[in-house]
Amino acid sequence: MAENLTEVYSNLSTSTPSVGTPGIAANVSSSIRSDIPALGIDSSIVMNALLVLALAYVATRIVVFLLTWFSEKVYEHRITVKMAIPLAKFAIYGFAAYHILGSVLQLSTAQLVAFSGLAGAAIGFGLKDLVAEVVGGFVIVLDKPYQVGDKVRIDDHYGEVRDIGLRATRLVSPDDSLISVSNQKILSQTLANANSGSQEMMVVIDLFIDSRSDASRAMQILREATVTSRYVYISDKRPVTILLKDRPFYRRVRAKAYVYDLRREFEFESDVTKRAWDAFKEEGIEPPKAGVVEIGDKSIADGGRSSKP
Amino acid sequence: MPPPFEEEMKLIEKSIEDFEEGKRDNVAVISDPFYGESDLMRRAADVIGPRGLRVYARYLIRDLEILEAASEKIVMVEEAHRLYQRKIGGFLAMNRFLSFVSSSDGLFITTWNSYSWKYLDEVLGLGRHFPKKIRLSKMGTDQIREMLLSGYEEGELTFVEEVPAKAEKLTILNRSSYKKTLMGHSLEIPYPVVDMRSIRSRRTKNEKKSSEEIFFDKLARISDGNPGVAEHLWDEALDYPEVRNALKDPPSIDLDYDESFALCIVLSMGSIDVRELSLVLEPLDLSAERIAGLLEERGLVFSDGDVITIRSEALKGVVEHLRRLRLVW
Repeated sequence: MAENLTEVYSNLSTSTPSVGTPGIAANVSSSIRSDIPALGIDSSIVMNALLVLALAYVATRIVVFLLTWFSEKVYEHRITVKMAIPLAKFAIYGFAAYHILGSVLQLSTAQLVAFSGLAGAAIGFGLKDLVAEVVGGFVIVLDKPYQVGDKVRIDDHYGEVRDIGLRATRLVSPDDSLISVSNQKILSQTLANANSGSQEMMVVIDLFIDSRSDASRAMQILREATVTSRYVYISDKRPVTILLKDRPFYRRVRAKAYVYDLRREFEFESDVTKRAWDAFKEEGIEPPKAGVVEIGDKSIADGGRSSKP
Repeated sequence: MPPPFEEEMKLIEKSIEDFEEGKRDNVAVISDPFYGESDLMRRAADVIGPRGLRVYARYLIRDLEILEAASEKIVMVEEAHRLYQRKIGGFLAMNRFLSFVSSSDGLFITTWNSYSWKYLDEVLGLGRHFPKKIRLSKMGTDQIREMLLSGYEEGELTFVEEVPAKAEKLTILNRSSYKKTLMGHSLEIPYPVVDMRSIRSRRTKNEKKSSEEIFFDKLARISDGNPGVAEHLWDEALDYPEVRNALKDPPSIDLDYDESFALCIVLSMGSIDVRELSLVLEPLDLSAERIAGLLEERGLVFSDGDVITIRSEALKGVVEHLRRLRLVW
């Protein structure tokens, strides 16, 4: 076993093949020592590679800043423009990696194989999570289960996707917390995307009314409150739907409608709810009476205490 | 100098003919504010004569007594969008009117503000009640020039540059459209055309646009092809026998979302009484008076008593602003 491993490492060396010597550690260290001069890595190359990475980082920040600024300028096409951000980031870092391997290190095919072997070993031992996250990022960018600007629910986290990074996706929650979720984890978890790249998004608004209230009138009022909202967006494909559900102690009137911009989700809900309840009160439509059950001409209130109607 | 409305008149006449032969297709004439649709209705009324009744929608808000009592079989309702208000309970008059239209055996020819139409079509399905839609489309530069110069001899007017002309803007594409009447419906397919004159003028200094061409290019751009707006700007520029090119691009609009919503309500009606605006804005805890004052201060509306109206020269900027915010669809 030890001898086989020694062989593997010695084969990776291109210029100075070593013969098997006792002790794996000695073999590995000798092969690495022999590889470095073969790859021609010196301090200037390391500096060049670091410089390329630094430039890639700066370029990424600039491109992200410019695309974000531009996307907010063309407000109605914000999400379309933001789609380009992760693509640009991966393209810049991909180009930097290609440049480091191709131009700075000037690897031959055999050296590239050797480097891949070393990289594979490094990944296998310590960096597998990081690589899995980067690969996850690639998959997310190519498969597009969500895009920058979308509102998503990942596991228990809900918010607007602010950034799809190399390692993690960042969400901004409704209470303005920045949540980082590993790209690798996202691929293995259930994901709900509320708008799928569109600026508008469906919002479900539930109002609960007393069972004895006029449900038809309540539905009509909720419909009008929804379609007259300043935040609503209606089209053939984005209709307003009003639904009624009967429960033992109350009725639920539900509006399903689209807010024109997903960032206005909560304002839309609040606007419709407030105006609908103002109109409900004027029409004598009441909220459910908690803990009251009518049985014939008697009612049981608050844990079984009976009272006359 | 209203637009000729030749195609539109043919469509209305065809609807009347069809109606007399037993086929009823109610008509909706849909246009941006200031387009001049009332002139089209006046011409239609001349054709219809005593067979028809012409009424403004604002007289139908309380009840439909006028329509119920009418013996005429052809009813022309102008500014039908005034029958709704964007608030809870604001669709009563409109629903009553649509029920009457559905149950009546008369022909209805109606005019609508295009922004209200789009909204109401999504909310109430207006298109089902008015199967024949006549959209008054944007006019091109040449059409506007022809309309405005129709009353003048060639060379009668002198075009003067008030502001020193800047380097001429290179325009590669211009807007044109193909209009066709298909199965009784007006169809407009916009398409881009290459502005060879502008491109050539860049290459050769000799072929510069004349002051007249520059004036009408700018007029068409600022009016966004709306003949009513173009006519208003023309009246301001005309100082017979000179036409002074002091046309200014619409100002950029800086309003918050609530103020923009109020502006959207004004645009959807063309003009609105502040008390009516208040009925829409009060449930949102917004002051109609304050916002109306602000809109006037910004040069977007003007007030005449209690009625505020969109400034025609600001129309294009207002529409672009509201479209950007997705307040008009």
